[in-house]
Amino acid sequence: MPPRAVTKSVRKTGGLFDGVKSNVEALIIGVKYFIDPKRMTMFYPKEYLEHRPGYRGFIVLKKEVCISCAACARICPSAAMKMVRVSEVDPKEPAKQRQKQYPVINYQRCIFCGYCVDVCPVEALYHLPFHDVTYESLGDMFLTLDLFQKEPLRPVEKEGVPVVYEVDETLGLVKRERKGGG
Amino acid sequence: MMVLETILYLIAYPPLWHVLIVGLLGAFFTAVVAIWFERKTAARVQRRIGPYWASPRLGGFLNLIADMIRYILQEVIIPRSVDRVPFVLAPVAAFVISIMPMAFVPLSPYEKFWPVPNMDYSLLLALAISTVPPLMSIIGGWASNNKFSIIGSIRESYVITAYELIFVISLLSAAATYTSLNLLTIVNAQSPIAWLLFLNPIAFLAAFLAVLMSTSAFPFEIPESEHEVVGGPYTEYSGILYALNMGGAYVRRFIYAVIMSLVFLGGWAPYVPPADGPLFAIIIPSLIVAIKAVILVLIMSFLRAVYGRYRLDQALDSAWRLVLPMALIGLGWGIVLGLIL
Amino acid sequence: MSISEGTLGELRSKGVEVRRIDKEYYEIFIGPQHPGSGHMRFRVKLDGDIIVDADPDIGYVHRTMEKLSEGREWLKITPLVERMTIIDACNITLPYINALEKLMDKRPSTRASYLRVLLCEMNRIASHLYGFGIFGVFIGHSTAYMWGFGDREVFVELSEILTGTRLTYTYHIPGGVRRDMPQDFPQMVRRAVRYMRSRMPEYEKIFLNNPVIVTRLKDVGVITKNRAAELGVVGPTLRGSGIRYDVRLAEPYEVYGEIDFEVPVFEDGDALARTWVRVEEIKQSLNIMEQAIDWLERHRDEPVIPKEDYDKLPKLHKEVYEKSGRVKLLPAQISMKVPPGKAVARGEAGRGEIFYYVESDGGTMPYRLRVVTPSARNAIVFKRILPGHRLMDLPTVYGSIDYFAPEADR
Repeated sequence: MPPRAVTKSVRKTGGLFDGVKSNVEALIIGVKYFIDPKRMTMFYPKEYLEHRPGYRGFIVLKKEVCISCAACARICPSAAMKMVRVSEVDPKEPAKQRQKQYPVINYQRCIFCGYCVDVCPVEALYHLPFHDVTYESLGDMFLTLDLFQKEPLRPVEKEGVPVVYEVDETLGLVKRERKGGG
Repeated sequence: MMVLETILYLIAYPPLWHVLIVGLLGAFFTAVVAIWFERKTAARVQRRIGPYWASPRLGGFLNLIADMIRYILQEVIIPRSVDRVPFVLAPVAAFVISIMPMAFVPLSPYEKFWPVPNMDYSLLLALAISTVPPLMSIIGGWASNNKFSIIGSIRESYVITAYELIFVISLLSAAATYTSLNLLTIVNAQSPIAWLLFLNPIAFLAAFLAVLMSTSAFPFEIPESEHEVVGGPYTEYSGILYALNMGGAYVRRFIYAVIMSLVFLGGWAPYVPPADGPLFAIIIPSLIVAIKAVILVLIMSFLRAVYGRYRLDQALDSAWRLVLPMALIGLGWGIVLGLIL
Repeated sequence: MSISEGTLGELRSKGVEVRRIDKEYYEIFIGPQHPGSGHMRFRVKLDGDIIVDADPDIGYVHRTMEKLSEGREWLKITPLVERMTIIDACNITLPYINALEKLMDKRPSTRASYLRVLLCEMNRIASHLYGFGIFGVFIGHSTAYMWGFGDREVFVELSEILTGTRLTYTYHIPGGVRRDMPQDFPQMVRRAVRYMRSRMPEYEKIFLNNPVIVTRLKDVGVITKNRAAELGVVGPTLRGSGIRYDVRLAEPYEVYGEIDFEVPVFEDGDALARTWVRVEEIKQSLNIMEQAIDWLERHRDEPVIPKEDYDKLPKLHKEVYEKSGRVKLLPAQISMKVPPGKAVARGEAGRGEIFYYVESDGGTMPYRLRVVTPSARNAIVFKRILPGHRLMDLPTVYGSIDYFAPEADR
């Protein structure tokens, strides 16, 4: 059946009996949850969410794969990614230095849209499944070429237990400890 | 033994025991417990944890203590445009006067433990004094010289006119039943289990709703309704003065609950205090009364999780059209009860 | 002390707004830094407790989306415009992509259409629950607030699994979407749908049928049928006034025409009816989600971008798509040229109809982009409907039209 508009009406209320009944129903729901809270809180630093592999988190560069095409820097909607020119040893002719461009990222601007990862023609960029990393100063958020190749440390991993969210029919989201390690 | 006895007698010295220990400390403690319970209950119903990290084993109870310390140490900002003297005095006076009804209620059947020598008009006196503190919040709001404060104060004054009559009438139903304004007579008549809660539930419900209105608990949290008038009468207050204002509402709720537990819940019944020594004659009965009062306060706190707030005119409408007739029916039934008993 | 007319004239000439203070009325400023205002300001004139005049002063978060778009390549506009309504990002960007597809003469693959519809409906539920929560706390019901936000998390989590991020999906590309769904996604969606269905009666009991809330909402902010048409309000505000209008119905986009669902309409026109419209819409969105996921499960083999586009992809791109369902973009798409022309597209976002006008001069960036957002059209309600109500009705009306300030200030 195609979509259609249907006129409905708000349940008519009124009268003493109805008022008492609705009050009691609301109170019963309150008491029900008071007795059995069905909580969904995550104790964040003590537990942390382990995102699924597809999560668009921090971005890391595989320098040896990069072909310096600059597509990532051109597609970045917030101009967070820029190409830098470095001189390095040419792998084919070790005696010679060569000039090459590599991307670097500024996490002050990055919006984690993942365009750069998707546009890279050689898969030289990849996402990490988290983005809760802290920096001491705004200047630290400009990653240099060396830092951009390292996976940043996630501070919460030191003290917390990884959990995953599962969708449940009666409780909504349930957090479960991740099975196995690593 | 003599030393212990003497210390107990000193503690049970009526003005000290009633006003400072049960009144101030009890109210203070109840305020903290009630706020904590309110937050924890709301959290449970709302599927959260509530206060936690300050002391995980105590369910975050120390969080409230930390909050209190913060309020005490916080800078008190007195804006230049306020009327200083009433601005500062109003919350202090409100807090102190809130506790005063404790000086007129009996917590023991024996005369030597009464704070005043004669209990004949205790119900009337306690009620009379309990009506003063809201005036202070009106004064404070007016002295704040802030538009939101003034709107809040006006709302408070509307609410006062609505609930006070209800509260007094519903409590007077007890006086009608036992033909006495003496709280002691009322308490003794209910012993051990013939509580007015069971005999006259309508008056009890009316009084309960009146307390909710007077201490701006949900669903009647109208004067401080955050989303229109920021903090209501307390918008300009900060630090300890704000804490006195906010805590004052909980203290008043506790004091009202004490009066209600004496009138409707049989006071220290079913316990019958023996005359020997202060421990059994006053300390245990007062604890029973206090526990009944705390339970009432906690039930009031629970309502926050279930209800929103009424609009001012709707609250007044329900007060005058629904709760006042309830109180009158309670009074009528009280008179009938008096004729039967 | 009074200011002379000369000084006033001087101030006026400098561009200072000068007006007389009305001594008859009590004037208060609600917002932009006020617990109940959001990112906007109301200038409210009160006669006693009655609102005589309410002036919504929108523009606090004005970000000139339309002008910024003129300096961006076509693909980069999606992450920009979705920042208007970050909680409804899928619905708000879809018409832009539709307009772009019209200009490029591209048809999305059916599978992509179903994925778009699925994400849009999850987003609609999340957006309604968000609005529901804000509404709850506006009228003092903190449980509705926490429940709304807690249950919204279920759908936000599902969106994260589908797109890789919680809110700013940037999911649509011309001709398709950027990700296919994971293998175990259908089960999750079905569980979430069943969960939300079982929760709806509890919401009704504690909030919608709660006598305090009913008293508070009934006959408040009444917009009659004629008035609604005259003011040009959209979305649940319009359908709460009894007008049978929904873009999904009037001009079905994507695959909405093939899906069996109802558009709930309520006749009363008050705050309660508008809230009920949203609740019924959540129920219908759950139905749509189920149908979409059934279809998607039956047609697993189709790619999420048109077949001819898929065939043209390089080998690595195909491998990545086979392995992880991720559609890689081509560098040529960054500075793609769109044929000159004008296109309009509209869609039904959580708060109402969203309209895009896109004009291309054949370059890599749009010549003009015009957005009309639902909140901008609903803001008129404050000015026209609030007078005559009490001050305490301001949050009620505000919450019931689910006004979202950044959306109005695009």
